[in-house]
Amino acid sequence: MAKVVVIGSGFAGQTAALYLGSKIGKKHEITVVSNRDVFGYVPSWVWVGMGHMKPEQTIFKLKPVYDRKNIRFVHAAVTEIHPDPGDQYIIETEIGSGQTVRLDYDYLIIASGPFLNYAGTPGLGPENGYTHSICTLPHAVKARDAYLALCERMRKGEKVKIVVGTGHPLATCQGAAFEYLVNIHKDLLKKGLRDKADLLWLSNEPELGDFGVNGVQIKRNGHILRSEEFIRSVFNDHGIRYQVQTGVTKVEEGKIYWQNYQGEEGVTEFDFAMLIPQFKGQPFKYIGKDGSDVSSKLVNPAGFVVVDAIYGLSYEELAQTPEAWPARYQNPNYPNIFAAGIAFAPPGPISKPFTNKNNLAITASPPRTGMVSGMIGRVVAMNVIDLIEKGSMTHEERMSEMVVACIASMGDSLWDGNAVTIVMRPVVPNRKKYHNEYGRDLFISHLEMGLAGAWMKFMLHHTFIWKFKGLPGWTLIPE
Amino acid sequence: MSGSQEFSKAEKFWMSFKLYQLWRFIVLSIKVYIAAVQSKWK
Repeated sequence: MAKVVVIGSGFAGQTAALYLGSKIGKKHEITVVSNRDVFGYVPSWVWVGMGHMKPEQTIFKLKPVYDRKNIRFVHAAVTEIHPDPGDQYIIETEIGSGQTVRLDYDYLIIASGPFLNYAGTPGLGPENGYTHSICTLPHAVKARDAYLALCERMRKGEKVKIVVGTGHPLATCQGAAFEYLVNIHKDLLKKGLRDKADLLWLSNEPELGDFGVNGVQIKRNGHILRSEEFIRSVFNDHGIRYQVQTGVTKVEEGKIYWQNYQGEEGVTEFDFAMLIPQFKGQPFKYIGKDGSDVSSKLVNPAGFVVVDAIYGLSYEELAQTPEAWPARYQNPNYPNIFAAGIAFAPPGPISKPFTNKNNLAITASPPRTGMVSGMIGRVVAMNVIDLIEKGSMTHEERMSEMVVACIASMGDSLWDGNAVTIVMRPVVPNRKKYHNEYGRDLFISHLEMGLAGAWMKFMLHHTFIWKFKGLPGWTLIPE
Repeated sequence: MSGSQEFSKAEKFWMSFKLYQLWRFIVLSIKVYIAAVQSKWK
């Protein structure tokens, strides 16, 4: 009987666990270790963060789901991974009892999500800083309370400055921040307060609409429409100011300090700010049989798990080498360790990197959205099943081949809401397969704004919660 | 929007015209589903 351990229960971990439990859970031991005992549907935290959805509508308890799927659940925080052959185990501290427990494994899937590095930007974050975040549910609730308090101030006639974007020169997840900003615009319009707020998009993207994926390009009516043009139109239409090519370096009460591509330093004042922090890998200790630190064999300096990618290429080389992106998400030094979702180390940025004259790197890091994470979780789970049952892997999917769909909410109302629907193939430009300057399939790729997108976003919320609960027909719902 | 920096009145009309959006919802749902299912069997 093989022992498979999955660390994490987000999009990647939950997808992997459901496939493993359903297909081999009765014959083998599948264990999920997570420091949260609930699944959180992250895309809807945009709405929690402004009071349009109750927090409990975005979560459900994990254990009842796992009980049905032959999965053992351990509510614990992983602290150590011991990967050396012959004695492979993880050490975890159980939440509640505080007891330290050893858990042996034959296969390990690290799907632990991002470590939110607020400390990477002094003054950033809701706990020890002055800005807000929607990256966790407690943070989204805190952002909601602060936003609603700000609305009260506006009702009394006060004019306020709201800044939304990235809080670190290397941050990612611009899409979620964009959704939050445009939803605030819609909410303020409905509340009759829009004229009381100055909205600013502050981002490390090289241009508007880049979203960390080098933008989206589609063919429409015979000409190429770029997301830069599209998002600029959205912001102009909504009266939202924007400032890109900017890395936030420090935050003080009411003040954001930044540098831009030109090396200029500046300060932006704010009354309310939601800035996405830098993402890093979880700070586990990787310990060898002799007690030595073996982290260099498993993770890169940022803590992301090294997998079957080609690392060390320049941006220009990487842009011409789609096969540099991993296919199986398997660690080359420990072949029974896999990484899924945000936990794996990408071979480099998708967006064009930039370093200014002060030697500050301002680069949008590659996003691994829910759909990408789910797909990787499935590929990894199916390969682990292959290895257990057949001894060799048959599944692979690179981000330079993946089709991805993304719905960016721009108002959640089903009557007069709005959303941008994006379909993109592939996520990472593949210039060997698609012979245009963008490296994308311009026939499949799609970008459209309208009420239909708001309906789709609503539908996805419910269908994905259904899927992640493993309810009947869940496998028919694609990642 | 082609070439301009704002959406035209016609574009805004179609974005919120419910019957047209119902049609787009069906088309987009099929497109997104096919796109997602393509990767499912790899």
